[in-house]
Amino acid sequence: MKHKRSFKEWIRSRDGQQVLVMLAFMVVPLLLLFLFTYLPFGKMFSFSFYNMKYVGARKFVGLKNYIKVFQRKDCFGALKLSLYYMLGSVVQLALALYLATILSFKVKGGNLFKGFMFFPFLINGIAIGFIFKFFYTRGFVFDTVLQWCGFQLENLPYWLKDQRINNFSLVGTSVWRYFGQNMVLFIGAIMSVDSELYEAAMLDGANRFQQFKYIIMPSIKTIITLNVILSITGSLSAFEPPYVITDGANGTGTYFVVMHEIAHTQQKVGLASAMAIVLLVIIFMATIAQKLFFKYVFKNAEDEDPRAAARRDKAIARSIKRQERKAK
Amino acid sequence: MKKKVLALLTATAMTASLVGCGGSADTTNTAETNTENAEETEEAADAEESTEAEETETEGETEATASVGELSYTTLSLDDNKDLTATIKFLHHKTDREEDGTIANMIAEFNKEFPNITVETEAVTDYAEDSLLRLSTGDWGDVMFIPAVDKSDLATYFMPLDTLDNLSAELNFVDNWQFDGVCYGIPYMANAQGVLYNKKVFEDAGIDKLPTTPDEFVADLQLIKDNTEAIPLYTNYAAGWTMGAWDAYVGIVSNGDNTYANQKLVHTKEPFADPGDGTGAYNVYKILYDACANGLIEDDYTTTDWEGCKGMLNRGEIGTMVLGSWAYAQMQEAGDTPENVGYMPFPITVGGTQYVNAGGDYNYGINVNASDDNKLASLIFVKWMVEKSNWCYNEGGYTVVKNGQNPEMYEAFAGCEVLSDQPALAGEETFLNDMNAESELSINAGGNDKVQRIVEAGVTGSESFDDIMADWNQKWQDAQEELGIDAE
Repeated sequence: MKHKRSFKEWIRSRDGQQVLVMLAFMVVPLLLLFLFTYLPFGKMFSFSFYNMKYVGARKFVGLKNYIKVFQRKDCFGALKLSLYYMLGSVVQLALALYLATILSFKVKGGNLFKGFMFFPFLINGIAIGFIFKFFYTRGFVFDTVLQWCGFQLENLPYWLKDQRINNFSLVGTSVWRYFGQNMVLFIGAIMSVDSELYEAAMLDGANRFQQFKYIIMPSIKTIITLNVILSITGSLSAFEPPYVITDGANGTGTYFVVMHEIAHTQQKVGLASAMAIVLLVIIFMATIAQKLFFKYVFKNAEDEDPRAAARRDKAIARSIKRQERKAK
Repeated sequence: MKKKVLALLTATAMTASLVGCGGSADTTNTAETNTENAEETEEAADAEESTEAEETETEGETEATASVGELSYTTLSLDDNKDLTATIKFLHHKTDREEDGTIANMIAEFNKEFPNITVETEAVTDYAEDSLLRLSTGDWGDVMFIPAVDKSDLATYFMPLDTLDNLSAELNFVDNWQFDGVCYGIPYMANAQGVLYNKKVFEDAGIDKLPTTPDEFVADLQLIKDNTEAIPLYTNYAAGWTMGAWDAYVGIVSNGDNTYANQKLVHTKEPFADPGDGTGAYNVYKILYDACANGLIEDDYTTTDWEGCKGMLNRGEIGTMVLGSWAYAQMQEAGDTPENVGYMPFPITVGGTQYVNAGGDYNYGINVNASDDNKLASLIFVKWMVEKSNWCYNEGGYTVVKNGQNPEMYEAFAGCEVLSDQPALAGEETFLNDMNAESELSINAGGNDKVQRIVEAGVTGSESFDDIMADWNQKWQDAQEELGIDAE
């Protein structure tokens, strides 16, 4: 006869002890996660329904802050600037993938180049801002270098003043900073590809480009997807280059810079919190859209899709049946 | 196994209780001390107030002789207390002057007259914040520069120095830290708002008379552009706060009304409308717009360099910069031709008079909880510093003592009316801050981007000046409506 264990007995048993140990280990990280991530987020979410400053009285205003976010020109207008940064991230990823592919084969001084190109990522973002502020100053580094190449100073644009190109200048700094990091991630992924595949491909007479297209690309698609998602999310929340280099002035104020201005200079904490929540939703949607997109892009590799294999099996079975019927 | 679990549980329970205990113990302690302090200081304040009241009553009939019990700045005689013995401590923010020995030299001078008063000094780097913390602990010394406390709390921390009426008869700018007609602070120096210029550039450009109206100023900038290599007006756009500095001329400078900035502005329906006579905030910003539209500013305003511009003004590569008088000394120190750096009143004339907005810098305040001897010694020290140390003059400050000597840099200010902004009306102290935040114009409160917008619009022609002013007026009115503030 099986006797039902009491709680006391269960806690003393091996199962109970396991659960207890599990809980004891989980409590600390979960507590930290809750305390430093979810609690502040919850607070911010509730702030977004108030008209408030950091100090002083709060007034509940319902959805008014959210309506304002959609009505104000500067909030959503700033999101347009994200397009520049998205364009930049495409260039950045293409460049990183290209260099990673080259550097993952045997190249003279490969490690040196890897080091050089990864180096910008190690510099502090604020320092990069100051470097590029001088880099783009009229008649300074960039203009001087271009003049060596034969350009006339009068024909060169004002890199930060001209509103048609100043966002490209800023995006340039962000590409310069991050492509090394993407590249290193790609190299890591490419290294894990089995080298026998290259040998087999070479025996079949595949050139480097074909190797890239049919071996490397499919093998590292997870890491590509990840990098694309991170870059797009990053472009939606671009902050450091415009904040440090131009202080968000002259038509370079991205969504984050506008949010910072509203939260800290104007002290409209409720409105800024609402902006943050709206941005979160946008990033969620962008991520989901990308997930779906990549699902279709990488669909052609048949063995990646179990349903395709099942369909093929069914088709074979059907044709066998048909033949059998014919034979009868 | 059972033991282990038990141990674990007790350990967690103990840590939890420990944390709990620590927290609660701390708060109760501070709460106790706080209430104690408050009680004490309240008593002290009451006592002070009553003596103050008596004093003002008796003063009218007979000259009250200053004694330790009834201290006041105006009745204190420096000569009567030469042999007082005390040790006082002075907390201040001038770390640079502490390092270069200026303060030590002044105290040495002070000790020649008062050999028995020992003054210890401490310079605090992050003064605005640290001094507030020190103030709340109560353990900071005897004399300090008053940090940003609420005016209603002044009596809790600081000794009343004198009545506003008595003090303002002898000193300028003493109303900054007054509450209910009693002054708690005296500024160590004062700043005036004008325009920095290079005298040699003006000479080379053929300008023989300083401009007094916006039109004259813009015409002079054009002369500088035509006749010299210098940048007529350097905006310092990229630094941001240097653009916000233009807000300082809204009020006294542009309309001669010392109640405008802190009292009337929040009730004005269209503060940026054009009054049509070359005055008002409209014409302050119009100067900037016109200068930008006519190419009278630096070539690439987005990469201006604040540190670099100081030397450029000194060397004559820049004609003018719109900044407060505090910047004057820095410009002089930044190059080899300090004699060329000049300071002039802002080029707006209201009804035939040029007005200058001047205001006190940090104020001396005396610890209300200090012993009577220390209070007397501190007051002697403050009075000596204000009247005899020449510190204000040496720092290039506008004189705090009425009819005192002004540094040479203010020679162009002769004939101007000097006023300082009156504080907000009782009950409306928060209005300006609220309006600034709600309208997002942040006048004199970090509203740099709104002034940057003028530069962008002026250079690129993307917006007309009147459109910008209309937009600001609209924002101001929306904020008034939102906050329920009456507007005329």
